[in-house]
Amino acid sequence: MSAIDLGASSDTRSGRPSVVRGALVRLARQPRVWVGGVILLAAMLLAVFAPHIAPHDPLDQDLLHMLAPPMWAPDGSSAFPLGTDGLGRCVLSRAIYGARVALTVAVIAAWGSMLLGSTLALLGGYFGGIVDRLINYVVDLWMSFPPVVLSLILLVGLGTGVDKVVLAVVLVDWTRFCRVVRADVLVTRRRDFVLAAQLLGFSHWRTMLREVLPAVIPLMITLFSIEMGVAIIVEATLSFIGLSVPPAITTWGQMLADARNDMQSAPCVLLTPVACIIVTVLACNLLGDGVRVALDPRLRQRVA
Amino acid sequence: MLSIDHLTLSTGVDGRQVDLIRDLSASLQRGMVLGLVGESGAGKSMIGRIIAGHIPTGFEITRGRVLFDDKDLLSLDRKAWRALLGRRIAFIPQEPLTALNPVLTIGRTFNEHLAHLGVAPGRRHQLMLEQFEAVHLPRPADLLHRYPHELSGGQCQRVLIAMAFVANPALIVADEPTTALDMVSQVNVLRLLAEQRRQHETAMLLITHDLRLAAHVCDDITVLYAGEQVEYGPAREVLRRSRHPYTWALDQATPDVRGAQRLLSALSGQMPGISALGSMAGCRFAARCPQRVAACEAEPPAATESTPGHWVRCLRPRNISARVPIAADGCETTSADRATWQTPTGDASAKPLIELQDVTLRYTARRGLLGQRKVHNLAVDGLWLKVQPGEFVGIVGESGSGKSSVAKLIVGAETLSSGVLRIEGRDRVLANSEVRRLNREHIQMIFQDPHSALNPRRSVYRLLTQTYEADRRAVALAGHPREERAQELLTDVGLPEDTLTRFPGQLSGGQKQRVNIGRALCVMPRLIVADEIVSGLDVSVQAQILNLLIELGRRHGIALVLISHDLSVVRYVCSRVIVMQRGKVVEQGKTEEVFSDPKHPYTQLLLSSVPPADPSIAWPPAVGAVG
Repeated sequence: MSAIDLGASSDTRSGRPSVVRGALVRLARQPRVWVGGVILLAAMLLAVFAPHIAPHDPLDQDLLHMLAPPMWAPDGSSAFPLGTDGLGRCVLSRAIYGARVALTVAVIAAWGSMLLGSTLALLGGYFGGIVDRLINYVVDLWMSFPPVVLSLILLVGLGTGVDKVVLAVVLVDWTRFCRVVRADVLVTRRRDFVLAAQLLGFSHWRTMLREVLPAVIPLMITLFSIEMGVAIIVEATLSFIGLSVPPAITTWGQMLADARNDMQSAPCVLLTPVACIIVTVLACNLLGDGVRVALDPRLRQRVA
Repeated sequence: MLSIDHLTLSTGVDGRQVDLIRDLSASLQRGMVLGLVGESGAGKSMIGRIIAGHIPTGFEITRGRVLFDDKDLLSLDRKAWRALLGRRIAFIPQEPLTALNPVLTIGRTFNEHLAHLGVAPGRRHQLMLEQFEAVHLPRPADLLHRYPHELSGGQCQRVLIAMAFVANPALIVADEPTTALDMVSQVNVLRLLAEQRRQHETAMLLITHDLRLAAHVCDDITVLYAGEQVEYGPAREVLRRSRHPYTWALDQATPDVRGAQRLLSALSGQMPGISALGSMAGCRFAARCPQRVAACEAEPPAATESTPGHWVRCLRPRNISARVPIAADGCETTSADRATWQTPTGDASAKPLIELQDVTLRYTARRGLLGQRKVHNLAVDGLWLKVQPGEFVGIVGESGSGKSSVAKLIVGAETLSSGVLRIEGRDRVLANSEVRRLNREHIQMIFQDPHSALNPRRSVYRLLTQTYEADRRAVALAGHPREERAQELLTDVGLPEDTLTRFPGQLSGGQKQRVNIGRALCVMPRLIVADEIVSGLDVSVQAQILNLLIELGRRHGIALVLISHDLSVVRYVCSRVIVMQRGKVVEQGKTEEVFSDPKHPYTQLLLSSVPPADPSIAWPPAVGAVG
């Protein structure tokens, strides 16, 4: 169920490409989209090409250079631009490698919760009645668990690993999508063009995908980018308490946990992962905010 | 008392100054009513906003004065202006429900208003009760504790009228005060306004789209077209002896509920928008005017006084002695044309297309914490209806009469609670899925709100031929390429070629409704159900759509069930009519017979609430004629 079916662009009259183009033009006019997008893109490039960019292996312990200061300090060295941690590991390299886990979790978990939440929202909002009530009861019940407790229970049960973290985030956060998207589906469902499509012989399935889904996609994109930020924080929290991934994989949360002991003597070791988390989450939120303003027709007038 | 003097309101469009309202002059004496008549986009509501001091940003008054009690409103400072509003000048808004704060009780809202007026707290309660009494609201003391949503639209409007008159204002500005109301409430509200005005000797500026209503209610009328004051004069003169071709066309486009039937002559095209005004040097109506000459487009015509007090802004005003209707293309309608025009009656000998026998529809609402209590609401109660192939049947009634539920039942969007619904002789409930699918193809629906009925993400091409994307397409489409069909439909509904690639957001209301009709036509249905399809349109566009429906019905032999609150529309289009009240049919028969000799008091009530075409007939009718 690809959101924007580009296959239709062969049909010059379909007009769909121009809808997409209009949306892209509006997105390009949003400075928030540019700032957020560029930061996220840079982070992704760093993550993908980490082995080529990072000066050291993130796990290499150089016990001769423990807690080395950053290169701009009086006795810093350019071999370790951001210094080393208590075990002599290069902070910069660890930060770069940490982006891999953070962004993997962010993208896959956001995608997963979007799929799960939006599908249930579409079904509930479209069919209404008993289906909708059932889904709503589940969401109500689900949301009454504190999210941290829920993810802890899940991880204790599932074990550690990136895939387990992704699963935990999806299972905790799908309700957010379900709630918000369902409200939008309900509004669209009541529009006459949905009934018109049914009268023209559209099956429920086709009506849902062709008439209702496109109307809620802007909202889903917005929620997706905000959800990425949430997923990064959840992952950092879980790895901070050591429940996320095996120690052999570097994450920002782990770096935070390791830096706690030497917080006073080497603040750079602590501040680096903090800065990484703040900048990426902020970028996600900026992007989401910009997308919302650009794609929400209700806000369009004020922007223009 | 109120005098508007060469008022010009301008805004900048693409760096050029555009006059949204051009050179408007009018005056209003104490106790009189001035009507501002125009279609949507004519700039009539802007006049009300200027008087209220709410000129939107980006707009500016470049010329003229608005004198109220010999003071120029435009030169007053905000404080002095505010002192006038509510006290000397009161407003009655268009949407009574949105004008009242939904979280405050009526009493709280009224109390705040009285506080603003400086009424002592001790006197307020008594004053409120007196005011409610004066506007004939039942149980005034109880009303103070009610919330706006607990009242009907008519009652809300009465509350607002009571609030407007409490300060004993010299001028009331009423912007479409009855447009959101039912016909019967409209009559009651208008009568109440007249009564209150007489008591308080208040002058009223009535802003409306309804020329005939204005002619009955107002003393003077000024007609606006695209911000230009085209005609101004005594109300009856303006309607009966219209000098400007636009005023004449407006009247000609309005169907009658009584008297001889005639073909409606609809103006082609639509009113220019703000962006188009800048490039218009001459008369703004020239492009649609059947009598235009080259000079019309050169410069704006000056207002000339044809008879004392009757001003017209036209180079070639109509000669009032010759009363020939004008047609859309500028030719005059021939008598042959009018003779051949008649409502489609259908084939009475054929098997009925649809047949409803004692049909009821019950809505069940769940109340209580867990939805354990069920509340039943009978929307349709024992309906019998038969539609022959090619026949046009009208269903009239006020909101809540169940007429829209009938539409939903026929198209299958609602399931009947009891009774029998036969489509082409087969019972819908008992039919197998294949028959049901065929039935669904044979019955299409045109929706009330063209904006909501068209998916904004589809182009006109994909909307018109949307049915080609349906799962299992019927025989009707076999061997008919999609592009070809789209072209045919475009011609059928009279849209220009270049609309195919456009999106609903780029179309006018009338064009959207044409797309809506075209989409329903695509499968070549045998019956079309049209729910209030012209109520949101301007009169001239409404006439275009009605003529289109009749033509399509005749050309393709399609039957039509037209649901409308407007009796004159139903009379123009339908050969048979059904009058509904609270889910029940109270009267039915041939349209002409029912309308010329209504038997049921409710039908009589509905008919009496339509403003007659002849301005000399007293309307609104006296109390007693309408309950």
